[in-house]
Amino acid sequence: MIEQTPVTVMVVDDHPIWREGVARDLTERGCRVVATAPDADAAIRIAPAANPRVVLMDLNLGATSGVAAIAGILEKLPDTKVLVLSASGEHADVLDAVKAGASGYLVKSASAEELLDAVHRTADGFPVFTPGLAGLVLGEYRRLAGEPSHRDSPAVPALTERETEVLRLVAKGMTAKQIGERLVLSHRTVESHVQNTLRKLQLHNRSQLVRFAIEQGIAGAE
Amino acid sequence: MDRPLEPLWRGLLVYRVLTLISVSVLALFRLDEYAAPAGALTVMAVMAVWTAVTAYGYLGGPPDRRGRLAVADLVVTTGVMATTPFVLTPAQLDAGIPGMGSIWTPGAALASAIAFGLRGGVAGALVISAALLLSKGRIGTAELGDVQLLVLAGLTIGFASTVLRRWAERVRLAVAAEAAAAERERLARSIHDGVLQVLSHVRRRGAELGGGAAELGVLAGEQEVALRTLLTGGSAAVDGAGRRDLAAALRALTSSQVTVSAPAHPLELPAATVDELVAVVRAALANTAAHVGPDAPAWVFVEEGDDTVEISVRDDGPGIPDGRLAEAEQQGRLGVARSMRGRVHDLGGTIDCDTGPGRGTEWIIRVPTAGVRT
Repeated sequence: MIEQTPVTVMVVDDHPIWREGVARDLTERGCRVVATAPDADAAIRIAPAANPRVVLMDLNLGATSGVAAIAGILEKLPDTKVLVLSASGEHADVLDAVKAGASGYLVKSASAEELLDAVHRTADGFPVFTPGLAGLVLGEYRRLAGEPSHRDSPAVPALTERETEVLRLVAKGMTAKQIGERLVLSHRTVESHVQNTLRKLQLHNRSQLVRFAIEQGIAGAE
Repeated sequence: MDRPLEPLWRGLLVYRVLTLISVSVLALFRLDEYAAPAGALTVMAVMAVWTAVTAYGYLGGPPDRRGRLAVADLVVTTGVMATTPFVLTPAQLDAGIPGMGSIWTPGAALASAIAFGLRGGVAGALVISAALLLSKGRIGTAELGDVQLLVLAGLTIGFASTVLRRWAERVRLAVAAEAAAAERERLARSIHDGVLQVLSHVRRRGAELGGGAAELGVLAGEQEVALRTLLTGGSAAVDGAGRRDLAAALRALTSSQVTVSAPAHPLELPAATVDELVAVVRAALANTAAHVGPDAPAWVFVEEGDDTVEISVRDDGPGIPDGRLAEAEQQGRLGVARSMRGRVHDLGGTIDCDTGPGRGTEWIIRVPTAGVRT
C-alpha cells in the first residue's frame, strides 16, 4: 500500500511495552503516530488536538473502559475511525465497541503486516471484519430478534437475506474475494453488505441510547 | 457491628415506654394509698427521664457507649426499686402491690442481655431479682414467679443477642472474603493481560527478527493462544443443571491454525451434547490437519437457529474428491465417517460435507435443540 500522505494514528493502550511497540511498528511502516494514551480519559482529552485518522484502541484499559473512550472520541471527532485491538477475547466488550462506533476489530495476535493492512483499510473507511467479529455480529442480530420487543421501541434491526449470507461466509473464514466469487458479487458489494450490518447495529444502539436518555429525563426531545 | 442488634434495642424501647405508661397510670389511681405520694411521683419522674435518656443512648447514641449505659441502667433501676420500703406501706406490700418500678424494671435486665449477650442477660436478671427481693423484704410465690420470668427473659434475649452478633460477624467475614476474592480476580486479570501483551509482543518481534528469535516468537505465540483460551474458556464449565456453553467449549479449540466464531452470549446445551459436538468438530479439524497439512488454517463457526444449532468446520484445502468418503466407508475404513456421522446421528442431527476440488472442505453439522434446550 502506497499512500500519498501517511495515515495519522493514535494508539490507546494501558500497557507501555505494547503501546510503544505498536507505535514503532506503524511508524516503521509509513504511518504517523500522532498521539498515544494510556487510558480512556487521556484518550478523550488528547484526541481532539491530535485529530488522528485512525484510533487503535485496546478495550481493557486498566480501570477505564475502552468502549467509553470510543464513544467519547467519536463524539468529538465523528470522521475519525476506531479500530479495536483486543488482547483477550472479551466478546461482549467487542460487540459493545462495535455498537459504540468502532469500525473493526483485530486480535492482538495479528501480525504487524495484518495490523498495518487493517489500519489502512480502516483509514479508507472499510470495516475490518474478522471471522470472529462476524460470528459475534450474527449472534447479536439473532439475540435482538429473539428479544420481546416493546411497542414504542425503535424497530429492532434485522439483516437482509443477502447480508446474512455474506456474514456467514465471513464467519467461516472466507475473504471478500472468495465470497464475491461464491455469490457472484463484486468485491465492493460484499464490503458494503458487511458495512451495512455494522451501521445498523450502531444506529440501533444510538436510538436506544437517545430513547433511554429521554425516558430518564436527561435529554429533551431530539 | 451493633447494627444487627438494632431491632432488639428498638423492641426494648417499646417495652420500656409501654410499661412506663402502664405503671404510671396504675400508680396515679392509687396515689392516696402510698406512704409517700410525693416520693412516688418523684420516683416516677425519674423513671420517665431515665426512659428518655436510655431511648437516646440505646438508639441514637454511640454504639460503644451502650455497654456502659446498660450498667448504669441496672444501677438506676435498682435505685428506683430501693425506694419501695419508703414509698409503699407494709399493708400495700401485703396486698401484693408490686414494688416501685414494677414491670418497668426488667428493662434493665433486657438491656444488659442485648449489650452483653447470654451472660449479661443472666447477670442482669439476677441483679434485678436481688433488688426485687431485698426491696420488698419478703419471698413469696409472686416474688419467685417474678424471678423465674426475669431469668428466663434474660436468657432468651441474651441468647438472641449472642446469635445475632455471631451471625453478623459471619456475614462480615463472608463479605470481606468476597471482596478479597474479587480483588484477587481483578489483579489476576490485569496480570494476565500484561502477560498476554508481552507474549504477543515477543511473538511479533521474534517473527520480524528471524533466526533463533523467530523460534522464541513461535513459542511465545503458542503460549499466548493457550493462555487466551484458558482465560476465555472459563465459562465452559458444567452448570448446576448439567448444561455447558457450546460457544465457550468450541472457543477452547482456538489455536494458531483454528479460528472460532461464535455469538457473544452462551449457547447452553446438555453437557453430553456439547461433549459430542466438540468431539465431532475435533475429528473434522484432525481431518483437515491430516489431509491439508498441520499448518493449514481452519475455521469453526457456530450459530443458533430457532430450534437448531449449526456448526460449520471449513478449510481452504484442495477438497475431498467426489466419492472418496463413500469409498472409504465401503472399504471399512470408517474413521471420518463413523466417528462423525455416528455421533451426530445419535444426537438426532445431520452432517453434510460440502467439498469439491479447489473449493476446500466444509462440514456442516446441524443438531436439533428443541426439547433439549428449555
